[in-house]
Amino acid sequence: MKQNRREFLIKSGCALTMTALATQSRHFGLMQAMAQKTSTKFESGVPDDYRALVCIFLSGGNDGNNTVIPIHNDASVSNYAAYSAARSPQGLALAQNTLLPISVPKIGNLAYGLHPAFGTLPGGLNPGIHPLWATGKMAVVTNVGTLVRPMTRAQYQTNSVQRPLNLFSHNDQVNQHQNCRSDAPLLTGWGGRISDKITFTDNPNRLVPTLSSLAGTQLFTVGDTTEPLSLAPAPTPLSNVLALVGYNNSPVTNARLEALSAALTLDTNQELITASNRIHRAALEISRSLNNTSEVTVTFPNTDIGNQLKQVARMIKTRTVLGINRQIFFCTIGGFDTHSGQLAGQNFLFTQLSQAMRAFYDEMTVQALGDKVTQFTMSDFNRTFNPASSGVNVGSDHGWANHSFVIGDAVLGGDFYGMNTTNGTPFPTLVNNGPDDADGGSNARGRWIPTTSVEQYAATLSNWFGLPAADMSYVFPNLQSFTTGNLGFMQP
Amino acid sequence: MSKPFWNLSCFIFLICLFCVRAYAEIDPNPDSPTPVLLSQANSSQVLAVNSATWKGNLPKQSPTLFRSGRENLFTLFVTNLDLMDNEGANALRVYLYQKSGKTFELQTEELTMVSKTVYALKVRIYDRDGYRGQPLDDGESVIYLTWRGLVSNALKISLGKSGGEIIIPEFLKQDSFKDETPTTEAVGYRWSGDRARFFEQATFGATTRLDNRVRRIGLRTWLAEQFEAPYPTNPYPNIPPMPTNIPPACSATQNPTCFRERYTMQPLQQWLFKEAFYGDAPLKHRIAWSLSQIWVTSGVTIQQSSQMIAYHKILAGNAFGNYRDLMSEMTLNPAMGDYLDMVRSTKNNPNENYPREILQLFSIGLFMLNQDGTIQRDGQNNPIPTYNQETINNFSKVFTGWTFCSGAGCPSGVPGTLNFRDPMVVNPANHDTTEKTLLSYPNAVNTMIPACTNCTTAGETAVYAEASLNQALDNIFYHPNLPPYISKLMIQHLVTSDPSPAYIERVADVFVNNGQNVRGDMKAFIRAILLDPEARGNVKTAPRYGKLREPVQLVTNLGRLFPAKSWDGNSLSDGGLSFFMDKMGQNPFYSPTVFNYFPPDFIVPGTTLTAPEFALLNTSSAINRTNFISVLVFDGITANVTDSLRGTSLDLSEAQAFAEADASGTQLLDYLNTKMLHGTLSAEHRNALLTAISAVPANNPNLRTKTAVYLIAVSSQFQIQR
Repeated sequence: MKQNRREFLIKSGCALTMTALATQSRHFGLMQAMAQKTSTKFESGVPDDYRALVCIFLSGGNDGNNTVIPIHNDASVSNYAAYSAARSPQGLALAQNTLLPISVPKIGNLAYGLHPAFGTLPGGLNPGIHPLWATGKMAVVTNVGTLVRPMTRAQYQTNSVQRPLNLFSHNDQVNQHQNCRSDAPLLTGWGGRISDKITFTDNPNRLVPTLSSLAGTQLFTVGDTTEPLSLAPAPTPLSNVLALVGYNNSPVTNARLEALSAALTLDTNQELITASNRIHRAALEISRSLNNTSEVTVTFPNTDIGNQLKQVARMIKTRTVLGINRQIFFCTIGGFDTHSGQLAGQNFLFTQLSQAMRAFYDEMTVQALGDKVTQFTMSDFNRTFNPASSGVNVGSDHGWANHSFVIGDAVLGGDFYGMNTTNGTPFPTLVNNGPDDADGGSNARGRWIPTTSVEQYAATLSNWFGLPAADMSYVFPNLQSFTTGNLGFMQP
Repeated sequence: MSKPFWNLSCFIFLICLFCVRAYAEIDPNPDSPTPVLLSQANSSQVLAVNSATWKGNLPKQSPTLFRSGRENLFTLFVTNLDLMDNEGANALRVYLYQKSGKTFELQTEELTMVSKTVYALKVRIYDRDGYRGQPLDDGESVIYLTWRGLVSNALKISLGKSGGEIIIPEFLKQDSFKDETPTTEAVGYRWSGDRARFFEQATFGATTRLDNRVRRIGLRTWLAEQFEAPYPTNPYPNIPPMPTNIPPACSATQNPTCFRERYTMQPLQQWLFKEAFYGDAPLKHRIAWSLSQIWVTSGVTIQQSSQMIAYHKILAGNAFGNYRDLMSEMTLNPAMGDYLDMVRSTKNNPNENYPREILQLFSIGLFMLNQDGTIQRDGQNNPIPTYNQETINNFSKVFTGWTFCSGAGCPSGVPGTLNFRDPMVVNPANHDTTEKTLLSYPNAVNTMIPACTNCTTAGETAVYAEASLNQALDNIFYHPNLPPYISKLMIQHLVTSDPSPAYIERVADVFVNNGQNVRGDMKAFIRAILLDPEARGNVKTAPRYGKLREPVQLVTNLGRLFPAKSWDGNSLSDGGLSFFMDKMGQNPFYSPTVFNYFPPDFIVPGTTLTAPEFALLNTSSAINRTNFISVLVFDGITANVTDSLRGTSLDLSEAQAFAEADASGTQLLDYLNTKMLHGTLSAEHRNALLTAISAVPANNPNLRTKTAVYLIAVSSQFQIQR
């Protein structure tokens, strides 16, 4: 059943009046256009051109150097021996025969390998994401990271090209991945800014925001004129995530709800009260739109990331009820700050990640949305190639350029993407104090300088998503500092 | 606590009171006057002149147009200020509200006296942070200022062009607050609104007993008393250390109770709540909690609650001591060492985790600061970094070689378990003895640690390692950033999310020197934070004053106002609340990362409001907060929900007496207004509440009371502490 906004407000019988809401909703993009005439684009109630982006943020800084690893023995580019020589003395190298092979056309079909947790596992629900490489549904974007503009190693070391603010600091590098601005603070994220531009046309009913976060308030999700919906993950049913308890439609509780609602529009001379009220009001409003949802088909792992993606899949399944044409989702999986205990820690997290992403991919196939929904990963930063500590405790410290996964039927998968590094391939040279290392000297630890910027990565995804070219500079204000805004890993 | 014991403690209290009275000060009137921005004669236009051409007198007239821009300064005129010595331009914050709906904080530059009563304030027509852009030359705008948490009148100013009338926004229409008539008692602290606010800042909330006490003895005497109060009232949980490999007999599947008690933070969390609800040293408990959100460790990594006890003892043990000692003890605390990997950092394989975070999060931050906490900028207006990767590499070397204390000489070690009780010790073979270059700053202490020249024996290396550690910590401790950095964080945790630079500076000055040339004296520091005129005052009107109650405050404030009991009301709460704390985003001792539950610089989306705790407030957690209060107030938290023993409920009898005495509900609301809202309940809110209360039959005063408490507790008017 489809409700339009006006009907819903009347039906809700809520004490909030239209006027009260309108005056209170300066920043709540959901509300902004509610008094305006609804677009006629979705009179049928079924979105005809659906697309969704699902960001999975690997919090803490995932060690990309143990995510995608050379298996081959070709000495003309960094090979397994080079990798092993740098990481095995402290015990951080993965054994060559455990890696899951992927053939890379861009590097002469040489064999690289994924971490073993990305494949079929004992007790696993599904075969993981590794098989999606061979079917061409998964790409890896290599050596991508925060940049103000392209910079060589010499430029980095002489400080002659502006560096991103506060390299190697968690929160700064997280923010720069999420807001796509490395040279100045910016209070909106690139997901939020896309939402600013497309909400009016692609989310005409505005029963829910265009963007949903399964991980609370994150910079990625914040727009200038739009705000995200924050949802609790499964197993909480989607229809319950924003439901108040203690109300049974009796006169006593109806009067209670009226008083609760009335307070949400008062004391506007206090900005903090108003800010809190805005969030509470949005929650109550949106909850009415989420009472007609349906369950997914595929079995998801009962992990935090599995439950986040399951809730995302439910929201996507509700798209026709909501009449929404474009959706953006944000999920996180934490624990990647592996200064120690990395072998066990990363294995544990990759198992969860791979199983959850594959379940989600399969569910999209069931929903016949395989080519309409794209999952992609980001992380704070890569980690040092040179290990930190040693033995059973071995880990790694904060690095820079990293590798990301992009998964979906619209992905031109089965290859590496990104600008070439100094070795003429998109994959960095795995040598401490080598040509791609930001560090210098005998204590250099292998923090790869990015050759591809986060902006280029994000812009490629946004372009596929349907962000109009005219809006690219609003969403990615620094994109013109790089040679291309399309890395080519998505179908045109 | 049994009755006779309570009487005894009362007696001891009175004796103590006698002792401290001797040196206690009397509390002055906490209220500051309301600042007034001068307007042009008979006009709502602000009186302002171009600073470049201003002659130094109070002008009779004002130009009609100004231009925005970093290079453009104008001078405003302010009266009704009662300034302290050295209270200057950074005490006043000027805001510009434009037709776009955006509010900018203009940079204040200079405050000078024009006459006995009028000050000139030079202001740059430029937003210092510029996060949401800069003011536009789009005609009429609204201008106002705040001082010590009080807002001035709002006036109009034209930028770029005249006309385009602006309507003064609703959020600047201040109700006329009625000043409280103080009671006639000669001594003590008479301002009831400020008493309630004080307890929310200094403790986990007011109790009736505490409120009565401070009303009699005053804030300063109470603080002096608290500095000496025994802590904790409820002993720390006595959990035996366990092996790292969980024995089957204590596994989550075979013995969930054993697992919960020993391999989760549950016992420590329950203790935290019990001590917050019932402890007699609430100031120390609150300061320790705030410090735990700066010096963060987390049960996400730390395996056992027994492993966190020594960590908490350091927080509490140094809460009223010296910050430098806190730095030393925390650096060698095994929980911190395990959490940030110092315990496994060696000269051959150093670990950057602790060195990076002690600099970035626990002491000086990323950018050079002025003493008032504002960021220093270079000629290109760029912030100046405090350190770089080289600095981290060097500090990493200093921190190598330290590890768990084991074997002889470790008094608290238990065979078969890691020693989280004794401080870490150095293994000389793993310590890096090469030269280290440390932080450089004006008059820097120990900018360099020379390579060891006499480390031929393990003993010599150990001496060198220990000396190096102290030198490095001194190098950090004397960095000029540390006082403003820590001052701002603690003010944010205790008092208000966006303190004025002048407030930060006053507190930082006391951190630098407590009056006896001691740096880092926590008692003086805490007094400076809590007794500052920006913290105190019966009524706070500034639109941005206060802070969102973090979930722990929300729960404990309610559990102290309406004494927390077990679910059946027959005994005390067991403090088992983790199920709900997790849903609200703040499960104590489980910070998601070393960056705490929320970042200190969080800006509320869509606004320019700095409000750290809002990072935890979203559509999902907002509903969870409301639903938690529903369960707590109406049903009580039963034992089986939290897998705990007795559950938690609120004792509403004191409030219910008013509902029983007065069928109109007015007395009940008056009582709750004073207790929960510091007397700020608006007429409209009161009417809405009365309607809901009246819908409950008068012969059910219990449900009426619950309805009122629930509705106020879930309202943003309560959830914002101000």
